[in-house]
Amino acid sequence: MSQQEVAAAKGSAEAALTGAPAGAGQQPEQAQQAAHADHARWGRDMCNDFDIDDPRFNEHFFEMLDHMVRHCPVVRSNVGSGYWMVTRQADVRRVGQDWQTFSSAKGYQPNRPEGLPYLYPEESDPPVHTAWRRALNPHMSPRAVAPYAETIRNDVNTLIDRFIDRGECEFVSDFGAKLPGWAFFKNVLGVPIDDLDMLVDSVERGTFDPPPERPGHFARIFEYLGNYLARRRDEPPRGDMVDTIAAGVEYPDGEMAPWDHRVSVLVDLTFGGIATTTYVMAGAMQHLATNHGDRDYLVDNPDMIPRAIEEFVRVFPPVVALGRTCTRDVEFEGKEFKEGEMVLLGYSAASRDPRVVEDPQTIDITRESVLHSAFGVGPHRCIGSNLARLELTVTLEEWLKRIPDFGMKPGTKPITETGILRSMKDLYLVF
Amino acid sequence: MKVKIDETRCSGHGRCYVLAPEVYQLDDNGYNAEAGSTIEIEPGLEKKAMVGVKNCPEAAIIPVED
Repeated sequence: MSQQEVAAAKGSAEAALTGAPAGAGQQPEQAQQAAHADHARWGRDMCNDFDIDDPRFNEHFFEMLDHMVRHCPVVRSNVGSGYWMVTRQADVRRVGQDWQTFSSAKGYQPNRPEGLPYLYPEESDPPVHTAWRRALNPHMSPRAVAPYAETIRNDVNTLIDRFIDRGECEFVSDFGAKLPGWAFFKNVLGVPIDDLDMLVDSVERGTFDPPPERPGHFARIFEYLGNYLARRRDEPPRGDMVDTIAAGVEYPDGEMAPWDHRVSVLVDLTFGGIATTTYVMAGAMQHLATNHGDRDYLVDNPDMIPRAIEEFVRVFPPVVALGRTCTRDVEFEGKEFKEGEMVLLGYSAASRDPRVVEDPQTIDITRESVLHSAFGVGPHRCIGSNLARLELTVTLEEWLKRIPDFGMKPGTKPITETGILRSMKDLYLVF
Repeated sequence: MKVKIDETRCSGHGRCYVLAPEVYQLDDNGYNAEAGSTIEIEPGLEKKAMVGVKNCPEAAIIPVED
């Protein structure tokens, strides 16, 4: 088939599935029909009246992303002060790379609560952002994190030892919520072993407890990390990332980064990588538990695990979307963004963009070409991406060796939670 | 065949190295070691070079017309 025929066939197939007209460039009546189809299906026009916290987005997450990336290059939300969201990979890349127009300095959360201190370096722009990344990158490169594999492997097995004889587990609380925390706190931060349980528990509860109780758990971690950084500053250097953060970086104005920025960096790194990796792990395990062909394929071909991991990262995106603030008025794909308005980078939609991923709705763990935005795009690319991949790879390697035969517990269905981040609260497995 | 590695776009995803290590290497920060340069692709490695082009989330690897 020619490229045009393939595109036309895909378009018709999509139209049949979605009940909405096919084609990228929509006429006004077609756009109205597509909006009407939204209302009929979900009771809300998710393209022009979006709410990232709507329970229906959580429930119909993948369907809605697929719809938006095909039919709504620029999504509009009228919630609170309102925000935009770009969905196509090319546009997410344009916005993410153009930090001068789309700044991180006013934060990544839409409708950000007043008075919240900014996280560094995530909520800053070059050149301040660059000064921090230059200092931190060497500690999180593939070469830097590779030696952690041994500790991570031991930890994976320690956690599995705790439940393997039970013949069942709740994967998130028994494993997924713990391993990334252990990996990060032990290897990267070098915290005392005695403090590990409290920290990991606080992250878990800060992520999964009823929402009003979460801030308290996170506050405990903030406080701990501030004290820890001060202690480490006064101890002999170990040559690790904590030393680098405690020492601070020179800002472009010639001043050293203030102490509270340094603590913020430690907090930023901590929260960046724990609950996020947990979701990808849970998603991967859910898929393998319910697709035994893929599970057995990886049991028999463990060298294909890294490739599968990249696909799991793509299809189980823990970061749904993060925001930027317009530093000027921008005309974008026919919409007018005003200075000061927030534009979300729809990472999760972009990872399902049929323009850059072949058959993006299918989880294909053998695909070589996995173009996704799960680790972000632009200068704020997830600094922990290499560590995350390592944790995921080692987890699957060891799990599939020790528990090659597992499934989902009958009668159970995982509960997910979605906002700017997505998580899976539980996953009952039997083996 | 030549490709340019745009240092203003390379943000260290590392996909080029994972998928085409015969063509692309990373520096100690995990960024493309030739960021900012144009590299000559060895004959026979053109397909591998294009895998890197297609899979860079930043579109930082750009074929250059001779």
